[in-house]
Amino acid sequence: MTRTTRRTALGLIAAAFTAATGGIATAQDMPPPFDDPGEVRIALVRYLSTGDFFQAYLSGVERQAEALGVDLRIFDSRQDAALQADMVDQAIALGVDGIIIQHGLTESMREAAQRAVDAGIKVVAFDVNVENAAIPQIEQSDYLLGELALEQAIRDNGTEWDAGYVYVPGIAPLDRRHAAWEDIKAANPGIREVAQMGTLDNPIANSNANQARSVLQANPTISVFFAPYNEFAKGVKIAVDEAGLTPDISIYSADVSTADIAAMREPDSAWKATVATNPAVVGEVSVRALAIMLAGGDPGAQVVVPPTLITQAMLNDMDITNMETLSERLPQFAHADVAMTDWMPLPPR
Amino acid sequence: MTVEADKTTASTRATGQGGRVALDLAIRYGFLLLLAGLVLFFSVFAEGFAGPRSAVFIFQSVAITGILALGVTFTLVVGGFDLSIGSVATSSMMLAAYMMVVLEQGAGATILACLVMGALIGVVNGILIVRFKVPDLLATLGMMFLLVGLQRIPTEGRSISVGMTLPDGETAAGAFSPAFLTMGRHRFDLFLDDLVPAPVVFLIVIGVLVWCFLELTRHGRLMYAVGSNARAAALTGTNVNGYKVLAYAISGVLASVGGLLLAARLGRGDIASGTNLLLDAVAAALIGFAVLGAAKPNAFGTAMGALFVGILLQGLTMMNAPYYTQDFIKGAVLVVALVFTFALSARRARGGG
Repeated sequence: MTRTTRRTALGLIAAAFTAATGGIATAQDMPPPFDDPGEVRIALVRYLSTGDFFQAYLSGVERQAEALGVDLRIFDSRQDAALQADMVDQAIALGVDGIIIQHGLTESMREAAQRAVDAGIKVVAFDVNVENAAIPQIEQSDYLLGELALEQAIRDNGTEWDAGYVYVPGIAPLDRRHAAWEDIKAANPGIREVAQMGTLDNPIANSNANQARSVLQANPTISVFFAPYNEFAKGVKIAVDEAGLTPDISIYSADVSTADIAAMREPDSAWKATVATNPAVVGEVSVRALAIMLAGGDPGAQVVVPPTLITQAMLNDMDITNMETLSERLPQFAHADVAMTDWMPLPPR
Repeated sequence: MTVEADKTTASTRATGQGGRVALDLAIRYGFLLLLAGLVLFFSVFAEGFAGPRSAVFIFQSVAITGILALGVTFTLVVGGFDLSIGSVATSSMMLAAYMMVVLEQGAGATILACLVMGALIGVVNGILIVRFKVPDLLATLGMMFLLVGLQRIPTEGRSISVGMTLPDGETAAGAFSPAFLTMGRHRFDLFLDDLVPAPVVFLIVIGVLVWCFLELTRHGRLMYAVGSNARAAALTGTNVNGYKVLAYAISGVLASVGGLLLAARLGRGDIASGTNLLLDAVAAALIGFAVLGAAKPNAFGTAMGALFVGILLQGLTMMNAPYYTQDFIKGAVLVVALVFTFALSARRARGGG
């Protein structure tokens, strides 16, 4: 009980702070049920939780929940699909008003999500398709992610080059990024894929470095590597550096972390650009979409959080060294104008 | 003087006896009291904890680990240990998915194949231990590694889902049989509609069967005899090796039942699921030692142990405690339970003797 009051208090303080600093809304301005936000309880049911991306996502969810002043419960199944389905039931038993399902397997979550909807609970899902028309999908657009990176590759290198490509089929986000690659190749016949590699063996970067070394040796004509996942790009970069080809090859990837920023900013780094969605922003958007539903609105069947292009030149010009300065200096990375209403309070920045 | 001295001794003896009775009660009922206290505590402080649905979720969350824990109980009874149960369960889950999705078999053939696999693995474990004299922990540890690898070979490390792309590039044509999925997902009506999930019924039925076997049959008592003193049991004409192999075979079969239920709940052969099964099941069985002061593996204790962990985790989750504190508390409970079992019972044995 102390925990609940503390959270509520925190939320109220956050709301008050937003108001005091010229924020957009106070509790009084928000539509029901947010006129008494302490009474609104939402649950975040997670499948994946370890790693930078998922921590940042959680921080976004927490910040936006605080800004709204609602009581947030976190259920963490740690990649246990059966437990995750149980946790939805737990949340139903707890009597929450809304549930955010973060990742998971369609097979195990479909029925649990339906039970929540049947219990009159509003549900949104992030990056898991629960095949339910009543549940909006929060997505980072993987297709756009791939497309933006490849467009930058074309701006930098023209439309005549031999490419190495890193891909592991069967992984949903990679498959969607792969679609962008297929489309770009079809539109630009001068772009030739001379080698394809890729593995998800741990440690991923290291395993891909070993493969990339062989690929580079066998295909000296490669001048561009498309590695649409940051661990892939890390691996390719290791191989390129070891082969002494740093100035001759350009790497384009997707996703970003503090370590990636450092790697991109090394002098003459082969890693020219990456495209990423800020996981914290995705977390905020998830809560906002749910809040819109709780207030009786409709956020749409799909809420797509647009990705941001991050080039080596941008990082150097703005002296960006880590994820914090990236958010500070690239405003489009720090906030996405989706799932917004005129009454929605935003976390303080 | 002598009279006074006599009096003091008498009074010391009386308090000593009172203390021993209290200790005896603590050992016997301490754990069940703790369980009741926990339920009371969470009912008051964790909103939504008290209620039929919440109770059912606790059972559901421990159903699969509980079944595995009952299997471990068998190996503990004969003085062994089975570290391979977690990987037997995940192998059984992968095999079930493979049978249906890739080989396009029905529910019956799938269930049979998984149970046979579980029994075979158990028999191999048993033979390694009794015939080749490999220590139980090492034999089952080796089996665990072997299975973790083996279960991924057919699909080259991928999860098995309906419509998956096979290593040879073709698309799998099979699907999970609806009857099979019912095993993990059906909910029986009890007071409320759709209340009791099928795996809970499996747990209760298996629990009662195991209890009857171990407590009421001659075979059960002989298994305990093998565990407490194998030599003595052998001298009285018991087939010690036979009972040991049987215990591992039962453990394997129960683990494969757990895997079948997991596959039915997930509707997929998921390589990431089931990693916690081993530790949670072992914890439940060991906590079970402390229940009713048994100081030995027993079916009722194991079920209570599983329930205890389930209640604790459910309550803590409802109070918004993060997962790492839950792991910490689970470990602390296990340590306390083991102290209950070994230190207190040893003192009682000394005092009583």
